[in-house]
Amino acid sequence: MRESVGRCPVSHTDYRLATPPAGHYAFLDREREESRFLWNDGADTGFWMLTRYDDVLQGFQNPETFTNDITSALNPQRGIDLLPQRLGGEEHAKLRRVINPYFSPTAVRRMERFAVDRCAELVEELAPRGACDFVARFALRYPTDVFLVSLGLPPSDGEFFVPWVEDVFGGFFGGAQNKARAASDRIMDYFADLVAERRARPLDPREDLVSRLVEARIDEEPMPDRDILTVCMTLLLAGLDTTRSALGYMFWHLARHDEDRRALIADPGLIPAAVEEFIRLYPLVIQAGREVSRQVDIDGLTMEAGDVVWLGIGSANRDPRKFPDPDRFVLGRKGVNQHLGFGAGRHRCLGMHLARVELAIVLREWHARIPDYRIAPDADLVERGGQLTLTSLPLEWDL
Amino acid sequence: MSTRLVIDAARCTGHGRCYAMAPDLLSDDEEGFVAQRGSDEVDVPAGLLGQADEAEQACPERAVRVLRSSAPSAGRSRPS
Repeated sequence: MRESVGRCPVSHTDYRLATPPAGHYAFLDREREESRFLWNDGADTGFWMLTRYDDVLQGFQNPETFTNDITSALNPQRGIDLLPQRLGGEEHAKLRRVINPYFSPTAVRRMERFAVDRCAELVEELAPRGACDFVARFALRYPTDVFLVSLGLPPSDGEFFVPWVEDVFGGFFGGAQNKARAASDRIMDYFADLVAERRARPLDPREDLVSRLVEARIDEEPMPDRDILTVCMTLLLAGLDTTRSALGYMFWHLARHDEDRRALIADPGLIPAAVEEFIRLYPLVIQAGREVSRQVDIDGLTMEAGDVVWLGIGSANRDPRKFPDPDRFVLGRKGVNQHLGFGAGRHRCLGMHLARVELAIVLREWHARIPDYRIAPDADLVERGGQLTLTSLPLEWDL
Repeated sequence: MSTRLVIDAARCTGHGRCYAMAPDLLSDDEEGFVAQRGSDEVDVPAGLLGQADEAEQACPERAVRVLRSSAPSAGRSRPS
């Protein structure tokens, strides 16, 4: 087994495997301090790892060299079509220009009223129980309902939609493939009905994304239905698991750090800064994959066309060269907004503004109703590999 | 001494952190990008220097620069 490739040390870490909570961050921290670049042979395909903040940012900002023909170093074959992610250059820019207006900070504010009401309703349902699995009972339900409403769909569809989403994510992250495919087919049928409905009876395209996608012309051509469905599916895949997972880590942290929880309760004005610091400290998407388009040299590391590169979001966000005392949660940390939790460059997360609003609402509404809680003493917490999540988070509180 | 904010249009990808940190200097456009990018330099009044610095420190793309110059603000001279 090779222990170095050129001057580059080799990592055998398989980042797809489950660990205890924050186990992946421990691997990332160790490897980043071991070397600026590593070669990883822990997954099916080997890849170069860029571990430090400045290199990761550079990688994101040079999409001609580091292309989106690959978007995950752990799953370079992708297997599922993603739009606009898989596009590059002008093609990507054109589709982003159609979609961006629905996800701007101003646009996502139209979701705020519903999100606050729905969040309050869910928390009020849970409060009298004195205990719940936060992940199963709240953290997926809430963003799914917001997602449905953002597409102009009835939130009551969440009743059957949430289990489909669960099955799709189960398969997407290594679980039962048959169930995942069946669920994914149902979701695609559901979206197909939505697209047909909007074609027949379009809503105001300034407010309704699917109506806009239906009437949009890219190079004077309408988008094929298949692409519109792919955009809808991508929004679901990109938006729901990440929000659920961010909530899991936030509450895992706050359940164990009374001083941070009390600070947010005492001054809810701190919540937006807290959301940024949580996303810096606990990034779910720990890496973005890219394909090298031409031979490139970074300070002696030579990568060839066709090589796979891991842009280490998780290691960059916790790089002490950029963020002093990186494993501490610091409310009001200077420069926290420069974290790469939402990526950077042209492919930066489309849903970042919606995510910020959704997460801030939960911190406000939950703590207004359930200010004190703890992790159930018999809880056996597991961190899924790949794209991180806590698979469950049993919380309890006094009634 | 004048202070201006300059936003590099080629680097800006719409993170929206600058106008969140400097709401009295910057605003968003329809796509969520900062409206004052490219050649639009923003004069920073003395009372808003703090917001300008926050905007610069908030941008993950390093697209925001605070320019302090002794030249009159009308001139597009480089910072001294």
